[in-house]
This record gives sequence, structure tokens and C-alpha cells, in this order.
Amino acid sequence: MEFKEKLISSHLAFEEDFNLNDSVHQVRAAALKVFEEKGFPSKKEEAWKYTSLDALLQKDYALYPRSENSIHVNDVKKYFLYDTDTYKVIFIDGVYSPFLSNTTHDGLDVCLMSAALSKPKYKELINTYFNKIAPEDDSLTALNTSYAKEGAYIYIPKSVVAEKPIEIIHFSSGNENALWLQPRNLIVVDQNAHVQIIERHQSLKEHPVVTNCVTEIYVHQDAFLDYYKLQNDLLSASLIDNTYIVQEQKSHASVHTFSLGGKLTRNNLRFFHKGEHILSTLKGVTILHEKQHVDHTTLVHHAQPNCESHQDYKGIFSERSEGVFNGQILVDKIAQKTNAFQQNNNILLDDKATVNTKPQLEIFADDVKCSHGCTIGQLDEEALFYLRSRGIPKKEAKALMTYAFANNVLESVQLPSLKKRINGQIAKKLGVNLGFEL
Amino acid sequence: MLTIENLHAEVDGKAILKGIDLDVKAGEVHAIMGPNGSGKSTLSSLIAGNEDYEITKGKMLLKGKDLAELDAEERAHEGIFLSFQYPVEIPGVSVTNFIKTAINANRKAKGLDDMPASELLKKIREKAKMLDIDSKFLSRSLNEGFSGGEKKRNEIFQMAMLEPSLSILDETDSGLDIDALKIVANGVNKLKSKDNAIIVITHYQRLLDYIVPDFVHVLFDGKIVKSGTKELAHELEAKGYDWIKELASHGV
Amino acid sequence: MAYTEEELKKELETKEYEYGFYTDIESDTFPSGLNKDVVRSISKKKNEPEWMTEWRLKAFETWSAMKEPDWANVQYVKPDLQAISYYSAPKSKPKYDSLDQVDPELLKTFKKLGISIDEQKKLSGVAVDIVMDSVSVATTFKDTLAKKGIIFCSISEAIKEHPELVKKYMGSVVPPSDNYYAGLNSAVFTDGSFCYIPKGVRCPMELSTYFRINQAGTGQFERTLVIADKNSYVSYLEGCTAPSRDENQLHAAVVELIALDDAEIKYSTVQNWFPGDKEGKGGVFNFVTKRGICHDRSKISWTQVETGSAVTWKYPSCILKGDHSVGEFYSIAVTNNYQQADTGTKMIHLGQNTKSTIISKGISAGKSQNSYRGLVQVGSRAKNARNFSQCDSLLMGNDCGAHTFPYIEAKNNSAQIEHEATTSKIGEDQIFYCNQRGIDTEKAIALIVNGFSKEVLNKLPMEFAVEAQKLLEISLEGSVG
Repeated sequence: MEFKEKLISSHLAFEEDFNLNDSVHQVRAAALKVFEEKGFPSKKEEAWKYTSLDALLQKDYALYPRSENSIHVNDVKKYFLYDTDTYKVIFIDGVYSPFLSNTTHDGLDVCLMSAALSKPKYKELINTYFNKIAPEDDSLTALNTSYAKEGAYIYIPKSVVAEKPIEIIHFSSGNENALWLQPRNLIVVDQNAHVQIIERHQSLKEHPVVTNCVTEIYVHQDAFLDYYKLQNDLLSASLIDNTYIVQEQKSHASVHTFSLGGKLTRNNLRFFHKGEHILSTLKGVTILHEKQHVDHTTLVHHAQPNCESHQDYKGIFSERSEGVFNGQILVDKIAQKTNAFQQNNNILLDDKATVNTKPQLEIFADDVKCSHGCTIGQLDEEALFYLRSRGIPKKEAKALMTYAFANNVLESVQLPSLKKRINGQIAKKLGVNLGFEL
Repeated sequence: MLTIENLHAEVDGKAILKGIDLDVKAGEVHAIMGPNGSGKSTLSSLIAGNEDYEITKGKMLLKGKDLAELDAEERAHEGIFLSFQYPVEIPGVSVTNFIKTAINANRKAKGLDDMPASELLKKIREKAKMLDIDSKFLSRSLNEGFSGGEKKRNEIFQMAMLEPSLSILDETDSGLDIDALKIVANGVNKLKSKDNAIIVITHYQRLLDYIVPDFVHVLFDGKIVKSGTKELAHELEAKGYDWIKELASHGV
Repeated sequence: MAYTEEELKKELETKEYEYGFYTDIESDTFPSGLNKDVVRSISKKKNEPEWMTEWRLKAFETWSAMKEPDWANVQYVKPDLQAISYYSAPKSKPKYDSLDQVDPELLKTFKKLGISIDEQKKLSGVAVDIVMDSVSVATTFKDTLAKKGIIFCSISEAIKEHPELVKKYMGSVVPPSDNYYAGLNSAVFTDGSFCYIPKGVRCPMELSTYFRINQAGTGQFERTLVIADKNSYVSYLEGCTAPSRDENQLHAAVVELIALDDAEIKYSTVQNWFPGDKEGKGGVFNFVTKRGICHDRSKISWTQVETGSAVTWKYPSCILKGDHSVGEFYSIAVTNNYQQADTGTKMIHLGQNTKSTIISKGISAGKSQNSYRGLVQVGSRAKNARNFSQCDSLLMGNDCGAHTFPYIEAKNNSAQIEHEATTSKIGEDQIFYCNQRGIDTEKAIALIVNGFSKEVLNKLPMEFAVEAQKLLEISLEGSVG
């Protein structure tokens, strides 16, 4: 049986646990129809021109773990920002792990999607936000919606500043043969509230796992969202990450994506502007080797005047790795005085590495400042020579320069401990022995 | 030359000028000084015909003609020249091409044919030399990538080329080092004659050491609060603008 | 008060197409429709050899199985290909030996177009081939060129006189299976220009072709083939116009360039097909396939000024097959009223040390949509490939759109690719600055647009640059002189 068929036929059993009169059920059923109609995206679709899921879809994935898999805190501690006191929402093979988590309802909600989807007190919020931010016509998002059940639910009330960063971590134990995970997160940042979130997907053993994750984020007026995605998974793990953000007036939202690991990673990141004077920031560092493939597909939809967006993605590709940047800026007719900038710089370190980049501007308003730039190149030979002439061996000089190239994206990381952590990971990935901290 | 009577003006509904009277005769140099936000640049923009500002009361006459009747380019044809505080970049259009277009547009308005290329070239060379401008500079795109000093020198170069009867130098000294300031001032002085007039708008007295004014007016909160001769500029430099604020608050 | 942008817009709307006139010459037109018999008849009418007829029929078969593409960022009612007549030749006399024999009406047409053949002959030494409703009517300077061994004639003539060259190269860069409109063209092309520059010869004058659609209900399917043999050079100009009509006319041309080792081809186009009226009615559908192949150390340079057509779909491209070969693309695309343009280039780097440059300037006004679509591809064997691309858009008014879709694919780590794009409008401050210097708003806009397009205008041969500048002003600034 093809995997698509399996997903469709298993749905009935999945919904058995739920109240079928519920509005969420209607949403799931409608989403399944969309997926049934569209199926998995193929390379023929413009948005999937450079990324193929065909190889991934050859396997037969389990949709749930066969048994409850527990893991010891000492085995996974290194994946936490342990030196910072954080809220934690942690899942193992898609199942909530109360033992590893640190949730709260004290002044803000950091808890579970399963609770939000089922408890009456969240009903209004779910009706307002759930599947209202994500587009209805995206097949993979629809697939996720049809199986939406578990994930993180975060609500920051009006004028509340979340004191601690929130970590959302999805572990896969590797005890399953092949697992297909579909976490669903919902984050609402109410007026003038502030929050910082770190998200990661991590396998603990080399077993095939595909995660088709959807995160919906609503950022209200004057609110502030600072989101970090750490993608440094094992080479057996693939991730399709769909993040949809709606911003209201005067809000700030920034998403940093660090793609260092994984087999195939597709990041769909979309921003929609619902008010004026919004600032959106999208930054990314991608460092790949072996046959890794990372695709950043971004869209900033300027639908209101006087907003600003900045995109800055850097990629370093070695061995047979492949990088894709598919960045789109869309400026509606009414979105006058838009400032939208996009930059994508890539370095190819090896013969067999590939970069495909497609930065797009679609502009329907005349009083705007929009630009994009992209480069594909190598390290500056002169600078390299300069370093070598000072006695630094070639390999180290190269690593140092590559590191410097990637590192300036880190400047905007607001959490010092996270910055240090990523810094270390980038250095490690590039084989640089820093001997000091930046 | 220029007569301004009880001029009131506003931008976006906010009153900036609140009754200006000024009389500039041919052969005179007037300096208008004042703190930031006193309305100096508004006044120069209004004379040049910038439509961002709205005249609510009063009038401006150039050689007896009501300026309100004239568009910006028509005022230029009548001999008004504004040296911009922030000259605008026009990518791809060379300094030479721009000045040629401007000169011929002005000639056309006077019913004259285009200036012959040889004559134009001769004039460009002569004026460029006067202002110590390199010929390479003339083929660069207008103001694009120019340093602050280059932009201001380019403004005075255009003034020399267009030979206006009324020149307004809006903060021409800002962004200039002392050597460039001397060259620019020297150029302006050479262009001065009994038939034209110059209005120098500045925050500091420095420029006035080189372009010596016949009259100095101090603008504060949209009004001329004090007028005098060049000594007033020195007094202002010594006492500072707080002194003016005091004068203004005492209703002088 | 001052001349406002609003007023300018109004003036633009009322500005009529200056080349909209119809030449009253008797034509020999096929009834409309397309099938194998029509293809055979076209071939027969043109007294073509059997191999050509076969080639066309094969192309027709290939095309019949193809679908009309819809990926471009343009919207239009697909032309009814069965309602088009595939052959229309001026009836008086299909071929002329000298200009004296040309129909005086036709000569008048060219005068109106601003192409006085006589004058061009005298003043600029440009050899001209004129293709009207798909038939070549006059080629000037043939004898002068023949002395150098240069062949410059209509493609029909080349098929008869130089079959070995045509057989070898036609379809070698743009095969009939390449795309829908290239397939259609291969089956039904009626004429076009052919040019061959022998080894080591530098063509002493600009070669020029003027294309014109005249007859109602006809499509123009011309085919151009330019071969520059080793170490030769040619500069080729192409101009296009059509009379204004209510219904859309189809133009589906194919241009193939072959630059053999060390050769250089410069191909410049000023396209001014009828763009439709201010309501968006009528106008030419311009679906053109232009591509060149570069052998070792050769260079192909495309320069285009696109001001006409209701819908344009055109990507002059370079296949940089040879080592050290160079491809260039310089483009100005102006759209006004309801025009739509989806244009750009493809630079395919296959050889080592290949270089390409793309400079694209898009100007949108009225209710038009202007898209740049480009591909820079560096193959895995293309060591040290270099590309620089710059795409700038200028928007005038708030009812138009400017879009940029660059595709960049690098499979070699020694590639260096840079792409930049900007979108901006003409600043009020720029206009005021010009006004203050005595330059009126209309002239100021012309000045600014010219400055914006300068890098591309500079690439055009002198005679064309003047015409192109005039066209820019006509299509944007109304009566600005």
C-alpha cells in the first residue's frame, strides 16, 4: 500500500478517540480531503522544483510508536539549554513527556495542544486561531491538520513578558523502525506581550524518521516574538517544517533557523502582515555536508503599508550537499512605503555541492523600497592568503573564514547562552578550534 | 528683486512660518540665520516652489511677479536658483547631461534655441575650473555617490552655469571642510554682481566670513525676530541662540 | 499649478500608437486554419525542396502533441490558432532585385516607420532585409556583402541556395520540440532572415531586419538563423512594428544564433509591435524563442528594447558550451496601459571559464505587469563560471506591478554568481530638483527614465540607440520630445 493510501485509510482509526461532533473534527476531516486531493507535492510544482520527497516516501512509516518509549534525562540533557532556566515542552515519539517537561499555567500558558484541543476552556481560543493562520490549500499542512493532536500550546496574555525562554523539543527515540511524526504547535502572543522560543527536533538513534511539523503563530499588536529553530539532527532524520506567522500592527517577529543537520529539511516559513508598522526578520545559517539537503522556502506577504522585513540567509555547502533558497517577497497594492530586503549568500566548498536559489520579488505598489541580492561563490582568496601569510595553516584559515561568513547572522541572537551554543556547533561543524568564545 | 510680505505657511497642517517680511534688492547679499526648526529651509523651499508646503497667508513677489502663480520650473525660468541642503541623486544622468538639459530648458522658456555644443562645453570647462572641479566628475551620475563636499560644489557649479538672478544657498556650508568652503565661497563671490541677489541660509557664522552679507536676519519660530548688519552674525555667534529665544519671548 | 503625475497619466492614456497605420497593398493570403495540408501548401508555395517539407511536417507532428504553456506571469485569452492565416505575402511581386521595383506603397510604409531604406543606405551603411507579413521583400547591400563572402538573404532563399548550411544548423539550437510556439513556428514559418559570416571575416556593416505584420488576421512566424563561422564578427539589428488592430495578432518567431570558435555575434532588437489600445484591446502576442550557442572563446550579446506587444514572452538565451565563451543580456522592457511582459534570459554555463552578464531594466506604468524571469545555470563541469546579474524595476503609478523571478542553479564549487535586484519609483524629490533647475516634469521623467536605462541604451549601436530613446519616451511620456 502506498504511504498516501495508508495515511488516508488510517485516519478513521485515528479519529476514534475523539468526539466526532466537535468542530475540530470538522477541520481535520476537511483537511484530509485536501490532502487526498492534492497528495504529496511533486517536483513539478514550482514550490517544490528543487526538493523531492520521492525518496523519503519509499518507506513504510509507522504513524504512532508501538509502545511508550521513555528516555533518561541524562541522555538528552545535552540538548537542553541547561544553563538557562527555561520552560520546557518535551515530546518523545510524538508523546508528551511530563517527566522531562516544565510547563506552566501561572500567568501564561505553556502546555499541550492535546489539552487545548479537547478542554472546553480553550474552545474559544482554538476556534479563533487553530488552522486559521495556516493556509488551507497546502497539502502537507493539510496532512498535518488532519492528524493534529499533540504539540505545544503557548499563550502569552496581554502585556505579559515571559520571564524564561520556552523550549519545545521533539525527540524520536529510534526504537521504532521508521516513524512519521506530525506535531502541531499553536502560539498566541497577545498585545504587548513578549516571548522567546527555541524549537528543535532530535533523533536519538539512527532510524528513519520524518517529521511533518506545523506551527501557527499569531502575534498581536505591539507584541514581540523571538523564535529560534535548531536543526542539527542525525543523518537518518528528515524534517518538513511549516511555520506560519500572522502579525498585527507594530509587532515585531523574528525567526532564526540554524540548519546544520538532518537528511532532508524543508523549511516553509511564511509571514503575513495584518497591520501597519510591522517588523519581520528572517535569518538563517545553513551548513551542510555529505548528502544533506536543506530547502528554505520563505514568503513575506506585505499586505499593509509602512511595514518592514529583512531576510538574511547564509549557506555553506560541502561534499555532495544541496542547498535551496526560495525566498519570496510579495507586496500588495495597498502596501505603500514597504521596505523589504532579502539577502542570500552561499559558499560552495566542494565540487559536488549544489546550490539552487530563487529569490523572488512580486510588487504591486509603487512607493516601496525592495531589494534582493544573492551570491554564490568561494572564500576570498586574498583574505585566505593573508591569513596563511600570518602562519595559519590553510585548512584552519579556510575554516576560520567560513566561520566568520556564517557568524554575522548570529549577532541578532538575543539569548546569550543560545548564541554560545550555536557558535560552538557552527565551529564544530566547520572543524574550527576556536580556543576562545565569540 | 524679491519681496515677501507677511508670509504664513504650513506643512501637514502645522504652522511653520508665522509672518515673514523680507525685501531683497539687486546687488544685495542677505543672510538668514536661526536655530534648527526655526523655518529657514521651509522659507527656501517656498521661494523655490516646493508644493509640500502650503501658503496660508501673505505673498511673495519676484521682480513684481506673484510667485504663487508660477510652478517650480517657471520660477527657475524667472531666475530663482536654490542650492539644495540635500541635493538629490539621479542615477544614470551625468552632471553634464543634466546641466545641458537644464540650460536648454531655460533657454527654451526664453524663446532661445539650444545652446551650441561648443559654447556649452567652453562654459562648462570655464566654470568647472573656477570651482576646481575635475572633468571626470562631470561624467559621473548626478550626486550619486558624491561626498557631501562634492554635492555642494556641484550645486554652486550649476548656479554658475545657470546664472540666476536670485540665488538661495540653503546650508551650503554644511558638510564642507574649510578648503572646500573657501573654494565654494570664492565661486559665489565671483558670481555676485549688481544685477543679482543672494540669500545665504546658515546655522553658523563661519560661511559669512567668506560671503559677506549686507544684511543679517534672525529667524526664530517662524518669524524674523531681529535684523541687522553683519555684526549681528558675530553677536549671535558669541551669545548663542538662547539669546534669541529670550528676545523672542520678550516680544522684540 | 504644476504638472502632476495624475495629469501625466491621463496624457499617457490618450497617447495613441504612433505606428498604427495600415499599408494598402494587395496581399496573397491563405484562408485561415492549420493542418498538414496547410503546412504542405506553405512549403509548396515557397517552392521548397522535399527535405524542408518533411522537416516542417515532422515539426507539425511534434507540435500537435504539445500543450500551450501557462507558467509565465501573463494572462491572456489563448489565440485561436485555427483562426489565423498562416501565409500572407504582398501580392505585387514576391521578390525584388532592387529597391526601384518595390511597391511605392511599401516604400511609403517604411518611410512612416522611420526606415528610409535609401537614407539608411547612404548614411549608416546598414544592410536591411525587410520581412513584411512573413515574406522577405527586399534585401539591400547584397552585392557588397557577397564580395566578403557574407551571405545575407531571406531564409527561403537560403533553403534553396545554401541547403547544406540550413540543414546543418536549423533547429540545432532551438529544436521543434523545444516549446509549443517554437514547434508551431518550425511547421509554418514563412520567411525570415539568414546570415552567414565566413571564417575570419568581420562584417563591415550592421545587418538589419525589419519585421512588420500588416495583413489582418495573419500571424507572423519568421525564422532567423545567424551563423558566425570561426573568428568572425557580426552585429545584427532587428526592428518590429505592426498596425493597430482590434483583435490580437500572433507573432511566434524563432531566432537561432551559432557562434563558432572565437566568433562574436551582437544581436540587438527594438521591439515595438502594436501594444493594444489604452483599454487593452488588440495588440500583438509576442511569443518568441531566441537562443544562441557559443563555442570556444566565442561571445553572444543580446540587447533588447521591448516597448511594444500586448503580451510578451521572450527569453533570449545563451548556451555557453565552449570554454572561455561569454554570454551577455541587456534588456529594457517598458510596459504601459494593459501590457504584460514576461521576459528575461537563460545563461547555461557548460564550458569552463565561461562568463555571463545580465542587466535588466523594467519600467512599468499604467495597469501593466512587468516580470523578469531568468535562469543562471552552472553545470558540474563548468569550472570557474562567472555570472553577474542586475535587475532593476521602476514603477510609475500604483496600478502596475513589477516582478522578479531569478532562478540560480550552481552545481560547481568554483562558480561565482552575483545577483542583485531593486525596485523603486521616481522620487518626488528628484522631480522637484529638476523643476527647480527649470526642467518641466515631463522632461524630468524622461531624463530619469533615460538615466535608469542608460547601461542598456549604451549597448545599442548608435542608429538604434537614438530610435530606442525615442521609443522609450513615446511609450511612457506621451509627447515628451
